[in-house]
Order: sequence, then structure tokens, then C-alpha cells
Amino acid sequence: MAAAEQTHQDRPLIEVKDVTKFFGPVVALTGVSMTVNAREVHCLLGDNGAGKSTLIKTLSGVYQPSEGEIRVEGAPARFTNPRDALDAGVATVFQDLAMIPLLSITRNFFMGREPAKRKGPFAFIDMKHADAVTREEMKKIGIDIRDPQQAVGTLSGGERQCVAIARAVYFGAKVLILDEPTSALGVAQTSMVLKYVRQVRARGLGVIFITHNVRHAYAVGDRFTILNRGKTMGTFAKSEISLDALQTMMAGDKELQDLAELEGTI
Amino acid sequence: MADVPAAEKTAQSEQILQKTRDERMKRQTRGRKFLQHPEFGALAGVILVFIFFGVTAGDSGMFAPDGVLNWSTVSAQLILIACAAALLMIGGEFDLSVGSMIGFAGMMIAIPMVYFGWSALASTLFAFAGALAVGFLNGWIVVRTRLPSFIVTLASLYILRGLTIALSIVFSNRTIVSGVKEAAGDSIIPALFSGIAFRPLFVWFAEIGVFDKLADGTPAVQGVPAVILWALGLAFIAHVILTRTRVGNWIFAAGGDANAARNVGVPVTRVKIALFMFTAFCATVYATNQIFEFGSAASDRGLLKEFEAIIAAVIGGCLLTGGYGSIVGACFGALIFGVVQMGILFTGVPNDWFRVFLGAMLLTAVLFNNMIRRRVTGER
Amino acid sequence: MKTGIVRRLFLGAALALPMLGGAAVAQADGEHFVFVSHSPDSDSWWNVIKNSLKDAEKDFGVKVDFRNPPNGDLADMARIIEQATAQKPAGIISTIADYSVLEGPLKAAMAKGIPVITVNSGTAAESKKLGALMHIGQPEYDAGKGAGERAKAAGVTKFLCVNHYITNNASVERCQGYADGLGVKLGDQMVDSGMDPTDVYNRVKAYLTSHPDTDGILTLGPNSADPVIKLLKDTKSASKYKSFISFDLDADISNAIKDGTMESAIDQQPYLQGYLSVAFLVKYVRLGVIPANNVNTGPGFVTKANIGLVEKYAGEYR
Repeated sequence: MAAAEQTHQDRPLIEVKDVTKFFGPVVALTGVSMTVNAREVHCLLGDNGAGKSTLIKTLSGVYQPSEGEIRVEGAPARFTNPRDALDAGVATVFQDLAMIPLLSITRNFFMGREPAKRKGPFAFIDMKHADAVTREEMKKIGIDIRDPQQAVGTLSGGERQCVAIARAVYFGAKVLILDEPTSALGVAQTSMVLKYVRQVRARGLGVIFITHNVRHAYAVGDRFTILNRGKTMGTFAKSEISLDALQTMMAGDKELQDLAELEGTI
Repeated sequence: MADVPAAEKTAQSEQILQKTRDERMKRQTRGRKFLQHPEFGALAGVILVFIFFGVTAGDSGMFAPDGVLNWSTVSAQLILIACAAALLMIGGEFDLSVGSMIGFAGMMIAIPMVYFGWSALASTLFAFAGALAVGFLNGWIVVRTRLPSFIVTLASLYILRGLTIALSIVFSNRTIVSGVKEAAGDSIIPALFSGIAFRPLFVWFAEIGVFDKLADGTPAVQGVPAVILWALGLAFIAHVILTRTRVGNWIFAAGGDANAARNVGVPVTRVKIALFMFTAFCATVYATNQIFEFGSAASDRGLLKEFEAIIAAVIGGCLLTGGYGSIVGACFGALIFGVVQMGILFTGVPNDWFRVFLGAMLLTAVLFNNMIRRRVTGER
Repeated sequence: MKTGIVRRLFLGAALALPMLGGAAVAQADGEHFVFVSHSPDSDSWWNVIKNSLKDAEKDFGVKVDFRNPPNGDLADMARIIEQATAQKPAGIISTIADYSVLEGPLKAAMAKGIPVITVNSGTAAESKKLGALMHIGQPEYDAGKGAGERAKAAGVTKFLCVNHYITNNASVERCQGYADGLGVKLGDQMVDSGMDPTDVYNRVKAYLTSHPDTDGILTLGPNSADPVIKLLKDTKSASKYKSFISFDLDADISNAIKDGTMESAIDQQPYLQGYLSVAFLVKYVRLGVIPANNVNTGPGFVTKANIGLVEKYAGEYR
């Protein structure tokens, strides 16, 4: 894996080219293009209904694009289901986190990819190994879990988000798509998640960070793409755009006056 | 990860465990850990029930060898289907056709044997094959249509019960098909499903005076009926599958959040269909035990047993919403149900009161479970 | 006796009163008997038997527990007999709803030295094969055949047998006997009506509409008879049927006989089945005496001519 990173360093991990998506007569995305490089957090900003969810679901294999193409490390990719995307190294952490609150952290962590240990004709889960890995991976991100067998439901929202991210990273994701990871979190937990996103970037992954909170985006983002009514309004590097300008861009065709009144509260 | 050699992996995990065992682990006392198990509520219920009947019916013969045999046989029968119901409920589905399946499977064994002259082995295999097919169909319809399994299996409840009555009338003009024992001849199947194990041991028990002897010198209890061994065996297998295998984790995942499970690559459809088939299999084991013990199949066998199975699973800590529960708990639930059902007769209370008592017991158990679950997940 | 019942009722609810427990089983001075029936909770016909058992309890100073499988599942009934055996009562009275199911448990009870009398369902031959002391009941096939012969005499050619308890073999025997008495083959004339009065009403209505040439009706007990009586009165079609006979009696059936809706009812005199079985067992246990033959409590046909006394006690003792 280290070797692969070297050779593909200049090539974007994932490229979205002119992707369009129709649902019957409804146009959800029109000609959206974006790229994500290794060691980059690319923020996707947009208000409700801008097409963020459709774009994520298209990238993660839930939907297939009507037109346009998606390339992973230069090669055209066609995902027919989430499993295809996962196998190509594109992991999505949806808002529901794909976590089952009553199950243990370990069982959630390894869900669908349980390590097996053979005993004669039978295969059992290697629970000891799974527990050890879970504990280790959590420790890496600074979450000290008392018992990997405790239910995920006992963790805080931020911790759960981190478990979901850690799971994707552990199972070899190259591109991580985070769907509104901070939307339901308080200040301390948000900073915990954002810190972890930086850490993931440092490990060489590409991250697509979806949010409508400009401040959160600005805190971790390297580049920003603004989506409005299914179209991209442009992509900007952090050095090219200020927080205020981003805020204004995102508000789109809303009257500036309205925005001025609200600015303090957003 | 999967291609790391096993030995190396264990060594590796041992190392990590050593490194990561931190001081906060110590605060997790054994007692608290025990409380977190879903079966805890049911175990408390079992103890409560035994204390209650120990006091009210202690001298009525309930705890004499044949009394124990009586309620443990009833509980064992229920364990057979309660385990299946528990697995299915953890997997997020219900099967209301279990009771009808018992009746139907019984007829699938009895009619070919008595009226077509099939061997016991052939008709038993036929019944199991037929049951698995019905289970498959139940599961397939549920996952395909995404209708609630409640509705789909309610339809199978009626269809199977109706078929049981209709076919027995067509073939025999009666609703009870007798003569199964005679038709089986000296086949091994009846012994396998309704034999009595450890007979010499029990004779010896009687000799040394642990058990009473009958007038003719045989012990009051002949041995352990096969149904008890079947129940324990199936419960053990189900428990291991649920807690120790990948499939077990998939069952939890499918019931906890089928969509989330699908997103991480769990074969939810296959898991659910397999669970419906396992349920039908267990119902057929129940029927086979019963057929060869009593020597007849009847079209009202297993009436309302689906509810008893679900009740036992719920008493045992399974959540009606899926994704949580245990086999051990379901077995405790079945034990509670069996002991209450029979024990109330030993106390001499008019059995008009049976349902009142059972209802109160169920409510207590569910309230208790709910309390425990909240403690586990930290919900408020 | 009254205080005994009250005590037992309390026991069901009062976890906090354990001292009553021992008393509940051994409270009567007299012997303890268990009467096991095959009926589900919903079958009201058994009230007469329950009342007869109460009379017997009072007359002989004994305690008789009435037991039944709540859902009518005979496999559950077998477990109840096993349970009763473990309790070691002075005697067990049981119906033989299915010989193969009950053979094991009843023989086990007798092996333990508990005397057994069989009643109601089952035949004298089965009772003898079990080794029971005696059988008290009504030969079901013969009773059905008697009804069939009466119907034939009334000129019936096409009949309907309303079976509210299709999973009980005795019920099918009754229909079979009727068909044989009439001299026709039993086919789709037997309708599985279920126990619910609305179901019975509508299923019978559907059958009679689709088979308009039906001219004889047999119902197998109050559960099926009462809704059919209502149906015939609602549709004012009672006169269309040459013969409407029911097994067993209750208030509705005796009224129907009085007003001519129903031709007759087959009375198996259940009071005798309950009372006599206890009486014989008490005397057998205490004195070692028992009649050498079986007792047929039916069939007796109740018609307009002899309805008087029946009416007074219908549903209670008749």
C-alpha cells in the first residue's frame, strides 16, 4: 500500500466528471465535477436540497450516475452497490453511521468483516483478536474505551462517529466520505471529530467532508466545493477564499440583506 | 487482515491486549458485567418462580422425580421453538406460523407412513424437506416484498393449519391420524426422537433409593426423554452460532439495522431466509418428537405455540424490535413458561386462573427487561 | 367447601401468602381426584360437568380438580395427565379424545397405582384396552347414526353437518355416523365452522346459499347449534329443513325444540358423566366396589314431547 501511494501521489484519488443524475423528470445533479487528492480534506458545502446527499450516494454506489463518470485512481469505476465502492477503497460514513447501538463496539467495528478462526470444520469469530484490534484502533484516535464489549449505545455521539471513521480506515479506505459528521454534536465533540479528520488526512487518505456548517468546514478543509441546486458553484483552495466569502457563496441567490441580518447566528 | 496466519494473529492480539489493558478496566466488576447480559432478567424470573412454587407446591409432588420430569419435558418442548423464535426475533423478524408448522409437519410424517406405507425414515426426511421449503418460502416472501413478517407469516399460519385439516380429511376422513408407532415398525427414528436416555442410570437410582419404584419394580422415572436432549442440543448449537460465529454477528446486524448491515456487506437476505428455515426446522423437530412419543398426528397440534415461543423469547430478554437478545435467555423464558404452566396445576389453583397468572408473569418480565436494557445502553 | 375455593383463588394472586400453599392441596379431609377433559377454555358445554363435579364434591366430601388444555391441544392434555399423576391423586377421570396420545400417560398413572375411569369421548373398547376401571359416555358413532336414521325417516336426502370442533375425532365420528344412518357418503357436507358464533353463522349461511337443495342439518353442540338457530330464524327458513338435529343441550336449543325450529337434540346427559365418575371412584377407593360394566349416558333424544324438565335445567344440569 505504501508503494501504491508513492506512484499515484500526483493523480487524484477520485475524480467526478460531469456527473448528472435524474430521478424520472427530476434533475438532482447537473454536470457536477470535483476531485479529491491524497492528504486532502475536500469540503462539500451546500444548503438543504442542494444535491449533497445525491452526490454522496452516487459516489458510494447507492445510486448510479445517469451521465458522466467517476474515476478512482485514474481508472473508470462503476459501483452497482455499496460493497463495490468499499472494495475500491471508497468508504462512506453515513449519518446513521451503520452502527447498531445495542451491539458491542467490537461487533460493530467488525460487522460484515469478522475475523474467523478455524477449529476443525467450524469457523468461529476470533473475538480476542477483534477486541484487541478495536481497543488499539480506538486508542490511536485517543478514545480510551474501558471494555470493547460494551454497547456502542454507551458511547457519546462524537465517539460513535469516530468509531465509524476508524472502522473505515482500518479496513483500507483510501477515500473517506463523511456525511454531516458534526451536525448533531456539541462543541467539544465536534472538535474531537475534526481533530480525528485531520489525523486521517495525515495518514494519507483523501476525505470528502459534507456539511452545511461553514465554520466546521473551514476548520479542517483544504479545498471547498459549493453545491447549489444540483450544480457546482466552483471549487476554491483555502488560500483563495475567506470564511465570510464562503458563507456568502453558500447562501447563493438569497438576498444579501437577509443574510446580513442572520449572519451573527449562523 | 484475513491472510495473517492464525498463530501470528493470536500472538499479536495477546500483545496488544497486554499493552492496552488499562487501569479503568478494574472498575468493571464481575457483578456489573453479569447484570448487562440480556438473560439476567430471565434468570431472576426463574429463581422467583422456583421460590414461589417451592413454597406453594413444595409438598405436592412437583419436585418429586416424575413431577420434575413433567415440567422439564414441557419446558424442553418449548425451548425447541423458543430458540428458533429468539434467533428470528434477534434477526428482526417474527414467525407466527410456528404452531401451524408443528401440526403440518406432523401430518407430513404421519400420512405417508400410515396411508402410503413409507418408512419412518423416508417420511421424516420428507417432513423436514417440506418444512425447510415452507420456511424458505416464508423468508423469501418477507425479504422480497418487504412486508412485515407479522403479516406474511400470519397468512402461512392460516394456510398451513387449513392444509393440515383439509389434507387429513382428504386422506383419512379424520383429523387425527393414529397408528404411527405401529407403522414405524422397528425403525430407529422413533427411538431417536422419542426414546428415553440413560435408562440404566435411572434403574440404578431407583435401586439405591433416590427414586420411588412402581409396584412392578420399574423406577418411577425411566430416564431422560429424547425431547430434553434435543432441546438442550439445539439450544447449544443456536447459542454457539449466535455468539461465536460470523453468522451470529450477521443475525444481530440484520435485526439491529438491516440497511446499515447491508451497507457494510452483511448478506441480510440470506441470513433472514436461513432464519425462517431454521424456525421451520425447529418446529418439525418439535412435531417429530411429539408424533413418535404419542403415536399420532392431529390437526390441532401446536395450536397457539407460536405465541408461547415468542413469549418465552421476550421473557428471556429478546427485544421485539430486533437486534438484541440471547438463546440462554430464551431457554430461561421457556423454563419459566413451562414451570408456571405446570406448577399452577400442582398448587391446586383452578386453572381458570392460569392465564391471569401467566399474563402477570409476562408483564413483570418485560418491565424488568426494559429496566435492565436501559441500564446497559445508558438510555434514559 | 366455599372457604376452600376462596382460599385457592387467593393463592393465584397472593405471592405474599405462602402459608396457604400446603393447605391448598391437602385442604379437604376427603380424597383428591382430578378430572381431565380435552375441551378448550372456550367450550361452554363443560359447565354442566363442572357443576356435577361440584355436587359430587359436596355429596362425598372430596375435592375434584377440573383440568383442561386451554387451547384444546391434546398433546397438552397428555402433559396434564402426567402432571396429575405426579401429584398422586386418589383417582383420575379422563376423556379419551385420542387413544394414542393418552395411552402412555394414562397407563403410567395406573402403573403408579392410581385408579382411572374414562368418560365422554372415546369408546368402551378403548377404555378396556387402556385397562381403565370403566367407561361412562355416549357412543358417538351410534349417536350420530341414530340421528341419521331419524333424519332419513323425516325424508332428508342432502344434509349439512356443522362441525365446530373439527380437530376432535369424536366430532368427525358423529358426522360419519349421521351420513351412514342416512345412507350417503360423507364428503363436503361437513363444514369446519370454528368456535366463534359470527364465523359459524356466516359459514353456514354461505354453505346453505351455495347448496340450496340441503334439507337436513346436524350441529354437533351448542357452539354450532346456537348460531344456526339464529340463522334459520333470521332468514325464516326453518320450515325448509325436514330435520334439524343437534347434539347436546342449552337454553337456545331447548327453545328451538319448543318452537319447532329444531326437531330434536341428542342428550348424552353429561351430568351423569361427571357425577357418576366421581361417585364410582369414591366408592371404589373407600369400599373397593365398582360396577362390572360400562355406563351409556346417551343417546337420549329430547323432543317437543319431553322438553319440560330439560328446559328447567338447560345449561346448568342438563
